[in-house]
Amino acid sequence: MLEERIKQELKDIVGPENFTEARIDMVSYAYDAMGAKGRPDCAVWVTSTDQVSAIMQLATREKIPVTPRAAGTGIAGMAVPTHGGIVMDVMRMNRILEINVEDRVCVVEPGVVYVDLQKALAPHGFTLPTEPGSSVASAIGGNVATNAGGLKGAKYGTTKDYVLGLVVVLPDGRVMKTGTRTMKTSSGYNLTQLFVGSEGTLGIITEITLKVVPLARRTATALGLFDSLEDAGRAVTRTMSSGVVPSVMEVMGRYLIQAINEGTDLQLPEVNTMLLVETEGYTRAEADAQMERVVEIFKDNGASDVKRAETEAERADLWAARKSTYPVTARLNNSILVEDVTVPMSKLAELFREFEKVVAQYDLKVAMCAHAGDGNFHPLITFDSRDPEMVERVEKANDALFRMAIAMGGTITGEHGIGTMKAKYMTMEHGEIAMDVMRTIKRALDPHNIMNPGKMDLNG
Amino acid sequence: MRQAYEFEKTYGELILRCSVCGFCQAVCPIYGLTRRPALNARGKMLLLQEVMRGEMGLDQDLVETLFQCTGCASCEVNCPSGVKVTEILREVRREMVNTGTCHPVFTGMNEILAGSNNIYGETDPPEYLEGRKVNEKAAYVYFAGCVGAYREEEHTEVTLKLLDRMGVDYTLIDEVCCTGVLEDVGYAVHGSKAETLVERVRATGAETLITGCPYCMRTFTSRNAYIGLSEAGVRVVHISQFLSTMTFDVQTDLVVTYHDPCDLGRHAGIYEEPRRTIGRIAPRFVEMEHHHAQSLCCGAGGGVRASHPAHSIGMARRRLEEAEAVGADVVLTDCNSCVHNLSNAKLRRQKLRITTVPAFILSLLEGEERA
Ligand SMILES: Cc1cc2nc3c(=O)[nH]c(=O)nc-3n(C[C@H](O)[C@H](O)[C@H](O)COP(=O)(O)OP(=O)(O)OC[C@H]3O[C@@H](n4cnc5c(N)ncnc54)[C@H](O)[C@@H]3O)c2cc1C
Ligand code: SF4
Ligand code: SF4
Repeated sequence: MLEERIKQELKDIVGPENFTEARIDMVSYAYDAMGAKGRPDCAVWVTSTDQVSAIMQLATREKIPVTPRAAGTGIAGMAVPTHGGIVMDVMRMNRILEINVEDRVCVVEPGVVYVDLQKALAPHGFTLPTEPGSSVASAIGGNVATNAGGLKGAKYGTTKDYVLGLVVVLPDGRVMKTGTRTMKTSSGYNLTQLFVGSEGTLGIITEITLKVVPLARRTATALGLFDSLEDAGRAVTRTMSSGVVPSVMEVMGRYLIQAINEGTDLQLPEVNTMLLVETEGYTRAEADAQMERVVEIFKDNGASDVKRAETEAERADLWAARKSTYPVTARLNNSILVEDVTVPMSKLAELFREFEKVVAQYDLKVAMCAHAGDGNFHPLITFDSRDPEMVERVEKANDALFRMAIAMGGTITGEHGIGTMKAKYMTMEHGEIAMDVMRTIKRALDPHNIMNPGKMDLNG
Repeated sequence: MRQAYEFEKTYGELILRCSVCGFCQAVCPIYGLTRRPALNARGKMLLLQEVMRGEMGLDQDLVETLFQCTGCASCEVNCPSGVKVTEILREVRREMVNTGTCHPVFTGMNEILAGSNNIYGETDPPEYLEGRKVNEKAAYVYFAGCVGAYREEEHTEVTLKLLDRMGVDYTLIDEVCCTGVLEDVGYAVHGSKAETLVERVRATGAETLITGCPYCMRTFTSRNAYIGLSEAGVRVVHISQFLSTMTFDVQTDLVVTYHDPCDLGRHAGIYEEPRRTIGRIAPRFVEMEHHHAQSLCCGAGGGVRASHPAHSIGMARRRLEEAEAVGADVVLTDCNSCVHNLSNAKLRRQKLRITTVPAFILSLLEGEERA
């Protein structure tokens, strides 16, 4: 419980209309998109860096936990205020401050929703190519703080590859500028990247300078059907080492294909594995030439069929299955867990196969898909959250998945982040020494542990 | 053991099915305006999930969010988990009202309707009745609805002039409110009013009931109390459906856009009929950024205009910004409620003309607009 005088001070900083302790707000700020829970004492909607700074000075003085929050679509408990205190909602800081295609940069506030930035960049012929699956709802501040990725990771990488500079309010309220608005710099420690993926544990990002890239002018799209996972896995590996860099390379597994057929009227052929692939070019010939090579590789590696889209409508048809993945699986039961371990690309087929055994062992329903082009595995585990025994089986399968990924030289999260839900695997992945360094950094910047405490296993 | 609420029996599973993904946040007009996550569908479902776990009761604290929803259904059409938010809220509100918890504006609305035939408690009949057939025999009945009768009389008047000009054999009736809105805000359709209304329509011998209001149309076609209409073979159509089969020998060179009313579009699936009509009279038709199933709500629905007027106007302003952004001279829509709210929200500097499709057609026919 916060004292009245502190609440009053908060109201004085942000204005009474931007402060709340109403129960309805406290409940909605208690969760992220994965259902992890921790109720705050109050929440503020900040509208300027100065306000954020003033609040952090107050929080440091009074040792009150502060949890930054953008759209709340995170799926690892990252924005959940596990230690109570103040939720700092940045969604009213939603201005696009600058779009400058001559310098190839844009500058935004953290509450700008991804698609709104995409729409604003499009008329300039540019984009931020990281498009996460949650692009309609998630905000750039959240994307940066989680190092979000998307379908086009194989070609374009993840959010970290586009963040040039930041304005960050440190836990003690000091306002720091990091990085530059230049395409390159070798100057000093890379503080910008320290904050990318920091999940709000080191400070609050209030301004972001992003590199933007030209929109792809032409794309070629194809869907490869495979009767065995091994063939599909080999087709991916061969494609990725062929010199062609597909912008999209998505795997969809057997159970997912069945689920899509049950939940939609798409009538997909019920094969073992599907690969959705896209290539891009400045000209049609360039996109097509790359795609021809991919199709050749698919066929050489046992594809029973490869469908190519000739028109925009056909392209939409090929995408329909992939796009329906989440809606279809989300309806299979009352809860869904989307994992995102990532392994070296050559290991993906093995991980698929091994995890299928785990799924069978624990008798679970799991729709398997992956961003194969960057080794990012996305099993969607559906379950009944009211059945404790089933929940336990899900946890065991997850545990096995994390261990397998780490053993294969991979990571427990390619793009979703750690939060509370994967915190206990941090040491397993990073080792004691790296954890010690992370905790040292955390203590140096946040000695009172008020900045989104309880996340990433940073507090001992 | 906690005693389960009634709503849980029918909707408990569906509420749990909300995977709290937050996608509805992107499309909820109230969230868009306030950026307050407690007010969008996810916030509402999270609260109901807490209620179902016994962590809180269906109490007064919840009124602010559970009774603040325009019923626009944007969340529903975009929900990956198929959560029927508007149905759930209707049921939950009913139960809250039954246990004495409601937004005072809606309690007031119910009280007014107990003693009046319209939601405004107006006593004088609308002026456009004068000189027109009322409660007589005709092929069609035209039903304006409360907003059309008492807040947008002019729009109703010109719609009727258009019907007159087209030589449509219609009659008006002494209207009573369809009371459909009461069901949305926790009360029930007034059976006696419904009976009176059905009786008055039937007495005209009309085969078709044309409504000016998309919400009345939904009420007549979906609520049990109005089963008497279909039993008597009366077909219910909205004016936009009726007009879409007609031709009008006029055109405008103005830039025209169309605002899909939620009740006509997302709730009734009527998107193309109005566009067909407009397409014939306005070659320079443009869509706004959000249209068809993704259209932005004008903010008037679900009683929000009465309960949270500032938010209601704020939502309408956002809609008008979209119309300005595409360079529209004219914003057409097919709902008096939308016209009313959008007009109230219009800023003086905005040169937009906001009107209904029939009113615009008539003005073209009468040569008021550049043809
Ligand atoms: C259906 C679905 C699909 C998804 N698909 C993808 C996907 O394809 N790729 C992907 O990467 N993710 C995906 N996600 C996860 C999620 O959308 C991302 O993690 C996203 O980046 C979170 O952004 P947000 O704005 O919702 O942030 P939030 O959830 O609000 O916050 C996430 C973290 O960022 C911190 N934070 C937020 N703002 C700031 C700030 N200004 N300063 C400092 N810290 C801050 C928070 O404290 C928290 O730790 C998906 C989620 C869902 C529900
Ligand atoms: S879109 Fe549907 S499932 Fe997602 S949070 Fe909203 S209501 Fe829940
Ligand atoms: S029906 Fe409309 S106003 Fe109501 S919660 Fe859904 S999107 Fe928001």
